[in-house]
Amino acid sequence: MRLPQFEYVEPKTLKEASKMLASDKKTVVLAGGTDLLVNMKHRVIEPRRVINLKAIPKLDHITAGKDGLRIGALTTLHDIASSPLIQEQYPAVGQAAGEVGAYAHQAMGTLGGNLCQENRCRFYNQSPFWRGVRSPCYKAGGDLCHVVKKSGKCHSAYCGDMAPALIVLDAQVKVTGPDGERFFPLKKLYNQNGKKPLSLKTGEILKEVFIPPSSGKTLYLKWRLRDSLEFPILSLSLHMETDGKGQVKKARIVFSSVGEGPVEAVSAEKMLKGKLLDERMIEKVSEQAVKEISPMRTSIHSPAYKRKMAAILVRQALEELRNAE
Amino acid sequence: MKHILKLHVNGEDYEILTEIHKTLLEVLREDLGLTGTKRGCDLGTCGACTVLIDGKPSLSCLTLAAAVRDKKITTIEGLAKDGELHPLQKAFAEKGAIQCGFCTPGMILTSKAFLDENLKPKEEEVKKAISGNLCRCTGYVKIVEAVLSVSEKQ
Amino acid sequence: MHKLNVVGKRSPMLDALEKATGQARFTDDLSLPGMLFGKILRSPHPHAKILHVDLSGALKVKGVQGAISGKDIPRKKYGIVPMAKDEYALAIDKVRYIGDEVAAVAAASLDAAEEAISKIRVDYEVLPAVFDPLESMKPGAPVIHEEVPNNISASIRKEFGNVEKAFLESDFVFENDFETQAINHAPLEPHAALSTADHSGKVTLWSSTQIPFFLRRNLATTLDIPESKVRVIKPKVGGGFGQKIDLYAKDFCAAFFAMKMKKPVKFVYEREEMFTSTRQRHPFRIRLKTGMKKDGTIHAQQFRAIADGGAYNSTAPLMITLACYFIMLPYRLENLLFEGYHVYTNKPVGGAMRGHGIPQVRFAVEAQLDMISEKMGIDPLEIRLKNAFLAGEPHPAKLLVQSCGFSDTLKKAAEGIGWAEKRGKLPFGRGVGLAGASFPSGVSNMSHISSGAVVKIERDGSITLLTGAADIGQGAETVISQIAAEELGVLLEDIRITAADTEITPLDPGTFGSGVTLRAGNAARMAASEARGKLLEAAAEKMEADIKDLEIRDRRVFSKENPERGMSFQEAVKVYQYSDRPMPIVGTGSYMPPAKEPTTLLKEDGNFSPAYSFMTQAAEVQVDTATGKITVLNMVAAHDCGRAINPMLVEGQLEGSVVGGMGQALYEDVMTEKGQVLNPSFLDYGIPTAMEAPSINSVEVETDDPEGPFGAKESGEGTQLAPAPAIINAIYDAIGVRFNILPVTPEKVLEALQKKE
Repeated sequence: MRLPQFEYVEPKTLKEASKMLASDKKTVVLAGGTDLLVNMKHRVIEPRRVINLKAIPKLDHITAGKDGLRIGALTTLHDIASSPLIQEQYPAVGQAAGEVGAYAHQAMGTLGGNLCQENRCRFYNQSPFWRGVRSPCYKAGGDLCHVVKKSGKCHSAYCGDMAPALIVLDAQVKVTGPDGERFFPLKKLYNQNGKKPLSLKTGEILKEVFIPPSSGKTLYLKWRLRDSLEFPILSLSLHMETDGKGQVKKARIVFSSVGEGPVEAVSAEKMLKGKLLDERMIEKVSEQAVKEISPMRTSIHSPAYKRKMAAILVRQALEELRNAE
Repeated sequence: MKHILKLHVNGEDYEILTEIHKTLLEVLREDLGLTGTKRGCDLGTCGACTVLIDGKPSLSCLTLAAAVRDKKITTIEGLAKDGELHPLQKAFAEKGAIQCGFCTPGMILTSKAFLDENLKPKEEEVKKAISGNLCRCTGYVKIVEAVLSVSEKQ
Repeated sequence: MHKLNVVGKRSPMLDALEKATGQARFTDDLSLPGMLFGKILRSPHPHAKILHVDLSGALKVKGVQGAISGKDIPRKKYGIVPMAKDEYALAIDKVRYIGDEVAAVAAASLDAAEEAISKIRVDYEVLPAVFDPLESMKPGAPVIHEEVPNNISASIRKEFGNVEKAFLESDFVFENDFETQAINHAPLEPHAALSTADHSGKVTLWSSTQIPFFLRRNLATTLDIPESKVRVIKPKVGGGFGQKIDLYAKDFCAAFFAMKMKKPVKFVYEREEMFTSTRQRHPFRIRLKTGMKKDGTIHAQQFRAIADGGAYNSTAPLMITLACYFIMLPYRLENLLFEGYHVYTNKPVGGAMRGHGIPQVRFAVEAQLDMISEKMGIDPLEIRLKNAFLAGEPHPAKLLVQSCGFSDTLKKAAEGIGWAEKRGKLPFGRGVGLAGASFPSGVSNMSHISSGAVVKIERDGSITLLTGAADIGQGAETVISQIAAEELGVLLEDIRITAADTEITPLDPGTFGSGVTLRAGNAARMAASEARGKLLEAAAEKMEADIKDLEIRDRRVFSKENPERGMSFQEAVKVYQYSDRPMPIVGTGSYMPPAKEPTTLLKEDGNFSPAYSFMTQAAEVQVDTATGKITVLNMVAAHDCGRAINPMLVEGQLEGSVVGGMGQALYEDVMTEKGQVLNPSFLDYGIPTAMEAPSINSVEVETDDPEGPFGAKESGEGTQLAPAPAIINAIYDAIGVRFNILPVTPEKVLEALQKKE
């Protein structure tokens, strides 16, 4: 399967890249390529111009400071997974990186690319021949959604591994745009819009991820049939801080692959606050969390199954953190 | 659109005129005649096209050739040094880790990158490292044995 | 038999280093000057009439040199089973599944070919389609092939013994339904073909095929030229597992364009095409009724199988026949009524896959046997031992089993998995199970299923061996060379083998039915023996010895009585030459499996195969009862392969086959929705990765088969029959839930566990 034709550029600075990106709607940025090139081969993305960010220096770093950890957007997932610093301070982040695809995907894929990966759908991530059986969907430039026929919008799902683990840690992102930089919570990068899932403004490119110092414990649980290669059927990250006597001070639960962006179970989190984590509470929280996700039939796995597994994963995560106390 | 592409492959410098939208896999196989790198799925899901870029395993079917101009690329043809086979090549042959041989180049290169980073891996770590390289013939048993046998000699 | 020197050695494959260094050439690695690249346009409809194909848009694309559709090609059907030919290389009047071939282009670049395909306009009249074989069998269902108005393209109804009476005599009767899924072979190498033609009209085709000679025949038919005008060469093949037993549009189109344009043309399939438009294992719907005697004897079975064949026949009649006959091994079964139907649907096409119709049967029989043993209070191992077939027993369908180590495989597999300590005794969530099977070692009694070999002893004492056998990665060339080397008394490295070129090498049916080692091995042994005889004649003359007293071993000709008397193999060749005997020393062998009552089984009973292998798989599984995830911890593969010519390669066959079987039990399923494959990729179609691979213990149970070369029988294909039922039986031991539908996913386990509560 050949790539479509395009113009190829290698800017030397992020600012330059951002200006190029802003100047043309049919320009895309390339980092590791493991997501973009597949979509280009499938002709769901046919850019006029490809900007290779890899030639830009200083975007690949893991730097510890007093106020937290900064990770350059071009840092590879493999470097994140094998960083002693991350393994020690944010093991769930390292673990999530180590569960993306397989070894080569991690060696190629970057943090920025993983966070900005396209949403996925069984009707979208297919060849032109496959998609040709139906009329084009919203995401492929058409005007309907095959997942939910009359809903009027695209239901494709965010399926990344990194976002949940970083959002529960209150990670922030720095983006560079034509008019300068912006700094905002990672959670806000996602606008829950399947067709255009990122809130980046014209020309903006992810530059750096910042993770504040964290107390408490974090987990990343990924559910899939085979323990490699696959995207999550669904996954979740749980972060919890307790008072040392079993009472929850703060909890964050964020899912992947069950909505148009990473989905945070806000009410379940509230339910946990100030409570003792006993069996009954675990049961209640997992029931609540499932109510807050909205999986659709975007993959070969049914929404009902995803809900069932979501409850099981939440329970497992809560039990594991409780037992780790 | 064509461009002049300089590549550093297996210690040799190449300068070729080729299309800018070609993947590294296509350039290796079609322009450089290095057909040891295999095309199994073309979508980054089988590992047969794995090469080393600056020592790291990379799926050449998802790599733009233009984007790796300044990198050191190693394909299976470049693994032997001065006519001496790499220990992994020998071990794969001797231990029966090769059947049809189609996954072999990618499997060996992935294993090399892994062993370069992990001197004494456990069996489970070997399995995880090669889990993106699919093999339909061997059931992986003898492949894992071969990789471990090389690590024991390291 | 004297001590064997080459046979029985764990020799690396002859081409292992070529493969380890990237020098091995597969079809897609070949290119010729001026080569064009082809692409195929496929149907987006499961069932439609082709009204018009407009190729003009494609021909306008820069670099495109040719475009064809069904009306441009000879109206000649092909099929791997001659009586079931039902397919055109490109669809002529209608398309019958999503992915059916409609048109093809050849262009100077792949970019141009891909673009051209998108520029072809096809007018279709969409027809009602049918996707469920049970619906397809009903009156009034859409007719997929006009010649087969009821959509049942092959069927078999056979009774052995007296089934009605036997059920009345039975003390217990069990009846259960089972279902198996579509499985893709998923060889790592995509199908490819490269063709060139000369001005005399001769076509040469390099193809990723398991069957060069059958392909030559089918290609000659579809191109409408004599077989003598077609040469098929098999380069390295990256796995096949049965999927490369057929002619495909890529073979035909490459050759057709090459003839038309006098330029080399290459076609390579995308991975997606491998899933949608090649072949797959037939999904079966099964009803199995079994009558048991109190003492645990299997007294009667009634088996009804509906095979979902997809849009074309491929091997249909043979597949459904094999399903029938191999119910009657590895257990004694006097009374059987088998009804089998191969039904057309508007879906991807079924074909031969490792086990060919039998894995589905074994799944049902072996799973039910465990249910029976539980109800009757007999240990599953005991019930199998009690009914195990023995060598030399009369067989109700007249199969002639001359060697049979089945009971031994049962015992060894049970021992290997720790049956006595574990069965029924492990904690909830963990369990063991086993299942048995038998498989033919090739097919008897069709003269075109004979193998030839030529052995030449060269001036320097090296050996040139020609065989038609198709090595697709299993190591056939190595094993055949070992057999020839053993017979000649030389070393493996003395052999240079050339294989699978229809113009140079003798006829061979190819790689299917697990017959290569036995058939081509015997042919090579015969050829070697003849050449050896000629050499010994000269040596005997020189040594003034009786030829019967001479032996060759380790490259040395010597007297058995007086081993110091002798000469080197090379000296013997010299002696031969100086005695004015004609060079080169050539031996030929042609082997056709013998049978006392010839049969193809398609028409009458008889001995189907020259030898039968027997095997037992045992599995130990862990089921995570919270998530439903199943982990296969250990598998034991006990296999009676006669004598292992190369134990390392036999182990490799067993290990690969076990993991494939595990995939079929737990992970793999070609899912379709209205005829469209939902998961045509390695992301969504779950062939096991190294992470899923269990620890595997291969146990070779050696028997010495009188018909096999040095006693060898099949290995590897039969091994894929029993892993799935062994795993399913282990799951029952672990959690007390029976699964009668494959694959058993965590989702199904969770559901079942919840229901159980």
